[in-house]
Amino acid sequence: MNQTPDGTGPVPLLQVEAVSCRFGGLLALDQVSLALEEGEIFGLIGPNGAGKTTLFNVISGLTPPSGGRCLWRGAPTTGLGASGLNRLGIARTFQNLRLFESLSVRENVLVGLHHAARAPLLGSLLGSGAFRRQQGQLQERVMELLTLLELEALAEQRAGDLPYGDRRRLEIARALATAPRLLLLDEPAAGMNPAEKDDLRRLIGTIRQHFTLTVLIIEHHVPLMMQLCDRLAVLNFGRRIALGSPAEVRTDPRVIEAYLGGRP
Amino acid sequence: MDAALLEQMLLGALLALSVYLPLRCGQLSLATPGFYAVGGYVAALLSTGVPAFAGSGATSPLPALLAEMVLGGALAGLIALAIGGPVLRLRGIYLAIATIALVEILRVLNLNLPFTGGAMGIFGIPQPFAHAEGYVLFTLALLALACWLCQRLEALRLGRAMAAIRDDELAAACVGIDTPRTKLIAFVASAVLAGVTGALAAHFFNSWNARAGSFDASITTLAFVVFGGSRLWPGPVLGGLVLTALPELLRPVGDLRLILFGAVILLGPLFFPQGLVTAERLHWLAARLGRGRHRGRQAPQAP
Repeated sequence: MNQTPDGTGPVPLLQVEAVSCRFGGLLALDQVSLALEEGEIFGLIGPNGAGKTTLFNVISGLTPPSGGRCLWRGAPTTGLGASGLNRLGIARTFQNLRLFESLSVRENVLVGLHHAARAPLLGSLLGSGAFRRQQGQLQERVMELLTLLELEALAEQRAGDLPYGDRRRLEIARALATAPRLLLLDEPAAGMNPAEKDDLRRLIGTIRQHFTLTVLIIEHHVPLMMQLCDRLAVLNFGRRIALGSPAEVRTDPRVIEAYLGGRP
Repeated sequence: MDAALLEQMLLGALLALSVYLPLRCGQLSLATPGFYAVGGYVAALLSTGVPAFAGSGATSPLPALLAEMVLGGALAGLIALAIGGPVLRLRGIYLAIATIALVEILRVLNLNLPFTGGAMGIFGIPQPFAHAEGYVLFTLALLALACWLCQRLEALRLGRAMAAIRDDELAAACVGIDTPRTKLIAFVASAVLAGVTGALAAHFFNSWNARAGSFDASITTLAFVVFGGSRLWPGPVLGGLVLTALPELLRPVGDLRLILFGAVILLGPLFFPQGLVTAERLHWLAARLGRGRHRGRQAPQAP
């Protein structure tokens, strides 16, 4: 099925090809390349300012790269924009949480079902039987997702009033509502205590199983990443300095140098 | 209250809803009076220049009025569609400034085009209704339709997408919402509503000139929404009704009324930063009314 032209193997779900990103004098990403295989949990680590979030922004279409390109199942994604890439199957969360704060928890997830909610205008306006049945199905889907993320009791609360951990999970629920193939999680464990981090690790495992997802995750908490990820890439000053299994990355001298500082 | 003032208030409420529609997805457009003027000119030109629209009896035919409203709304909508793409790339106050410029361009065009009657404008516009009461009933029906559509929007995918863009445009794009298209739909809907209102107003006022769509009018219509609230449709409706009536009701105090009017616009946002109508106040009101109706029974819990 998905074979490369020379027949050497399956096409990766997402390829990042020599992506560079320059903001004025700052080279935030310098020729970064990665390939994500379908179904894996892939971690992205690196010191602050290494370009991890910038890479997320490029992959999700928020920032056009200054050089290089991304390929989705082998096809370039150039120029698609954030909404186009979401429709291809890429969903994301944000490091500093971007919920629709004035909407309820339920409505936030319902907005995520935007594309499942397509309906003829006249039928929708007049509240036809077909429209009401569809609304019922959407609400069921919302409640399934909220239950999975343990938010069902908060469905009618305003998203802006939620405590921090619930907001993180709501963002994941909203991203999952868009039926993604690839989920980008930007520091999902930030600000969580060890017990919550443990819950999160289990949750990510569960949703990967449940939705047959590929997950790309940025996280600073290295032990969590070592447990969770199938493969890891390490960024430092915009460059990819290591790539491999957690065991390989842990012992890589360049990674140790980036985290602990170089010898003079 | 006399019917003529009531009619002006209803027209004010319709214009306030036209400002409210783009605000629902976070777009501050002040172009409403420009589209209102365009709709009015369409009605004025057709009903004074085309015999079929003017009719032959004492009052002009009602189907002609409806056709003018459709055409006035359509022309305003087409203008919005044509300029919406580039203009809606601007955000916040820059969009507001660009739409003020649009109102000015339309005003100067209306003053100088060979067929719009110059500064005097167009007068002797035939009347589809013999009395102001006829206008009031007709406009009330139009306002009810507009309110119903705004209310239905809440349950619709489009309405939710608009609310999402208002809260966080970037996050909205990341859940697959085509944000430029959604904003354009809101802008065009706003223009159509303003154009339709203008076509009706031109008949009611009997004459139409470029002053209908001025910078002053932009600010007045904005005040409707600031005063009433921009979150829920009853807000702009209330703002449009009250702020249109206020200058007239204050007439007995003479020139002092302008100062009082200014004070209301100044103090409203200070004491009611969300506008008069908010979800909390509506729930409170609903609970009060409910209690009044079923005395002794438990008032229904607000959702």
